[in-house]
Amino acid sequence: MHGLKISMLIAFLSGSAVALAAETSIKQKGRLFTPSEVSVKKGDTLMFVNDDNITHNVYSASTGNQFNLGAIAPGNSTPVTFKNSGTVDILCAIHPSMKMSLKVAD
Amino acid sequence: MMFSRIRVGQILIGLGVAAIATASGMPKSSAEAVVGQTRKIELPRQGEPTAADMRNAYRRPPSIPFPKNNPYTAEKLLLGKALYFDTRLSAANVLSCASCHNPGYGWGDGQPRGVGHEMKILGRRSPTIINAAYGLIFMWDGRAGSLEEQALGPIQADVEMNLPLHQLLARLNSIPDYKPLFEAAFPGSGISAENIAKAIATYERTVVSGRAPFDAWIGGDEKAISDAAKRGFTLFNTKAGCSNCHAGWNFTDDSFHDIGLASDDIGRGKQLPDILRAQHAFKTPGLREITRRGPYMHNGMIGTLDAVVEHYNSGGIDRPSRSDLIKPLALSAQDKSDLVEFMRTLTSDVYSTTVPKLPR
Repeated sequence: MHGLKISMLIAFLSGSAVALAAETSIKQKGRLFTPSEVSVKKGDTLMFVNDDNITHNVYSASTGNQFNLGAIAPGNSTPVTFKNSGTVDILCAIHPSMKMSLKVAD
Repeated sequence: MMFSRIRVGQILIGLGVAAIATASGMPKSSAEAVVGQTRKIELPRQGEPTAADMRNAYRRPPSIPFPKNNPYTAEKLLLGKALYFDTRLSAANVLSCASCHNPGYGWGDGQPRGVGHEMKILGRRSPTIINAAYGLIFMWDGRAGSLEEQALGPIQADVEMNLPLHQLLARLNSIPDYKPLFEAAFPGSGISAENIAKAIATYERTVVSGRAPFDAWIGGDEKAISDAAKRGFTLFNTKAGCSNCHAGWNFTDDSFHDIGLASDDIGRGKQLPDILRAQHAFKTPGLREITRRGPYMHNGMIGTLDAVVEHYNSGGIDRPSRSDLIKPLALSAQDKSDLVEFMRTLTSDVYSTTVPKLPR
């Protein structure tokens, strides 16, 4: 039982390390994606962080990597993992000034 | 032993990751990205904006922006103005751009909804072209990505000016005085759809709202607007929340919001059918010269600024697509009056626009 607790703790810590290694945070303060140009490898995750003071709806219609986060209020973050290589145009459905480009490599 | 515990832990992580991936929807197919679970995060507390902060956000820009692929020239302006006011850009030779975007009505048409080919009543109000130079996206539903793209839309639309491009080009080629205007504006490339769009867009970009009492106040003249208008400005930026969308010197965020109006028109939803918040959403109009631009809203359903404020105070129809910025405000009668008084300060002194002598 004790051993299981330790292993769960290790799991949690190593899980965080794994997440950090493969995640990039995309912030949205001031109605801008920051950073707005990102390159990742297939299988990597972007963490979309709404650190703005208004709701955003991040989405992409790019073939192979479509997603729609829906309306996300300030103070929330959502991970998105990209499974296919290619260029992904990411926008906010509410605020068209918010645009970013993601390149997913094999 | 420790190794085996780590391996157990890694399995648990694997299971945990799988759980996160499914929490808010696995992809429908392998051709989609995987959305994980949304989690709360702590944000640093933001202080209330000071009066100086609020005023600084509304300073006029020093110049008109023209895109790199269509820079300003006086020749393009001259041609664009002629095209803008020329009714021969419509099939029936009776409608020009200025018919619906008339300087006499704050560059709109003063009607609840536009009137097109053969007097057909259109679905939406004719938006003003004031300050279009500063726009990021065009039409009530954002279906045009540039002013150049927008300019050719109504000319071709069968319910509006109803003139296909090939007929437009033939018609302009038959008017001798247009040839030198095009040659001066676009040396060597002549009459083309692209050049028509560039010329009209260039003219439209020069239609900029004049300096209003509000601008004088922002510039430091405390007597330029009334105390009621000053209270209204504070409400606009705080309790009433207007500035969340009507942001900056042109009072628009160029974004799309469902503000809870009773209408079957889904607006931006036609462009983004899978986005809930795009349903019933329309582009935020700027508020410059607003007293000259009624009736209001995308379909002209509200006749006065007082009634507009009343709508926002009520919060409109509560539905899933409604912006979370729209909610009942509990404004007092004084608050509402002050907000309208503030908006009245956004209209500039009357200025005249000359109609050009058209090519024959």
